[in-house]
Formats: sequence, C-alpha cells, structure tokens
Amino acid sequence: MIKSNFVIELRKFGTILVSRPSGKEAWLAFQPTLKDVSDTEEVLVDFKDVLVLTPSWADEFLTPLRDRFNGRVKLINTDNASVKATLAILDKNRPIRPSTSRD
Amino acid sequence: MLNSLISIGEASKQLGTSIDTLRRWDTTNRLPSIRSGPRGHRFYRQADLDLFLRNESSLAKQWAMAPVGVPPSNDVYCQTRDVFQARLERLQHALQGKVSESAVSLLSAVAGEIGNNSFDHNLGNWPDVTGIYFSLDMRNRNIVLADRGQGVLATLKRVRPELNNAMEAVKVAFTEMVSGRFPEARGNGLKFVRSVIIENPFTLKFQTGDASLLLKEYDKDLPIVHVEEYIRGCIAIIGFEGSI
Repeated sequence: MIKSNFVIELRKFGTILVSRPSGKEAWLAFQPTLKDVSDTEEVLVDFKDVLVLTPSWADEFLTPLRDRFNGRVKLINTDNASVKATLAILDKNRPIRPSTSRD
Repeated sequence: MLNSLISIGEASKQLGTSIDTLRRWDTTNRLPSIRSGPRGHRFYRQADLDLFLRNESSLAKQWAMAPVGVPPSNDVYCQTRDVFQARLERLQHALQGKVSESAVSLLSAVAGEIGNNSFDHNLGNWPDVTGIYFSLDMRNRNIVLADRGQGVLATLKRVRPELNNAMEAVKVAFTEMVSGRFPEARGNGLKFVRSVIIENPFTLKFQTGDASLLLKEYDKDLPIVHVEEYIRGCIAIIGFEGSI
C-alpha cells in the first residue's frame, strides 16, 4: 500500500527561522492545518529554500511535531548548513527520523 | 578608558595614517580633534577613533561596560526582537558573496541564537537599556553582539543555585542542557553555537561577568579564563577571518 504524504513547506513560514517566539507562533498558527493529517499519512517536512535555521526555532516547531506524529515525520531537503547543524543538535537529545528520500 | 585623550602621534599609529593626514582630516572635519594645552595640540578620544575605524568589538565592549546605560547608535541598536530579526536578514545579505554560502548560513544562525538568547533571558527584566547591540564589522571580519542584561550567572542561578561564579556559569551554559527559563524545556542554543564554532573556521569570544571564553575550530575543551574587566551582561564576538 502506498502511503500518501502531508507536506509542510517550511519556507512558507519564512526563510530565516531563528527565534523561539516565531517558532512557537508557527506551531500555533499551523494547528488548524494539522487537523487535516490522516492517520495513514506521513508528515514530510520540506526545508527547501530555508536559509537559516536555529535550534530555538526548531525546538518550538519540529519537536512538538515529532511528539504528535511520532514515527511518521520525515525531513527532506536538509542540505543547508544551518539546517544540518540544527538537526544534529536536536538529534543528540530527541532523535527525529531522517528521510532517505529527496525531492 | 572611554574618555582619555590620545596624542596625534598615537592616533596616527592606530589609524595607520601620517600625522599630516590627521591634521588635514581635522581641518576638513573628517576626523575632528580636541585642542588642548597652551599650544592647542591636537588630541583624540579613543571612542572617536573606534567610531572612525568602526571597531565594533571595542565600541560594543565600551557600551556594555559603561556604568550608566544609554542606547547605542541607531545603526547598531536592536531594541526589540523584531528589529533584531530584520537586521539579521540584512547581515545575511551583507555576508553573501563575501563568505561561502554555508558560512553565511551558519554565521547567521550563530548570531541569531546569541542575539535571541539575550532577549529570551532578559525579557521584562532588563536592568537598564532594553535590547542588544548588533553589528557586522567587515574590516575585522567579525560579528558583534552585546547586551546590558543580567548576565549568564544571574540567569542560571535560578535553576542552579549552587553556581558560584561566572566561569562556572559559562561552562554550564555551553555544555549542559539547562535553561534559566525553567520549566520550559530548552537549552540547546549555546551548545549549538559551540558545535558550529569548533567544526568551522570561526572563532567566538564570549564574556559575561568576569568570565571570558575564547573558542576556535577543533577546540575540545572550553577555554574559560578570569578577566579583570567586568561586564554585567554579555558580549559575543564571532570571528570569521579564516572562512572563505
């Protein structure tokens, strides 16, 4: 069975994602949209066009996202240097499953 | 000292220009001197020379250490987090083409973490001047951030009352998952900063209280030393001289 994907394009929150309050705001603002995710869908977080990411922002968005959709969150287009460095720090404490697929 | 006067000879050494050039700049008002003594010799304030050279790290340090807090000049002053975010975007544009794409991204992220840290830990509790000093010094290839906040020791002592001094506090801040904003789950910021600095051709000079950290690529330990000059808040100088 082919699973469908629910894609979150982070660039739609901005390309410089650094502060804790903006990460928190992004998470809160996205709640109504997340209600549309079905139980069988995988949640793809797309980092395409993100120029700067910090753990402060990611802690407020990615961490609760992973908690909510545990095991179904996949990260794609994570080539940006600050994205890689941020994910490495987050993974040390709360591993997020990286995706092997690329768009 | 902020207001001590410097002779024209010393000023010419600092600026790398001849004394005649300084006299000409004085006449044309490009760099005005202060006339003092019976013969009206030319003198200069160190702060004026720093401003002329835009020696940001020195200017920021003087601002952070000044006994009385006044907002810095508008071009380096981020009173709120929104202003800081906008200036961070400007920094990112300013670095583009001057360093590699990955260095732009990492330097912006490190500056973003340090600057936001100042706001996170001092929101509603700024002792005098609200906000931070933030500037890019392309001539010296560094990014300067400073605040006149409570400092790392005061913030961490709320969750780690056993901390005795600023050196211990800096060590905890850069190595342990701990936050002065308990019960929030957080505390990745300065660990992230450390890992980026030691894995790239960057440097970080960080001072809070009387503790100073100088971190560079490949460092395994945290070289924290006691310094005489006291800064209540924090100052961070991110160097990228070695980056392409």
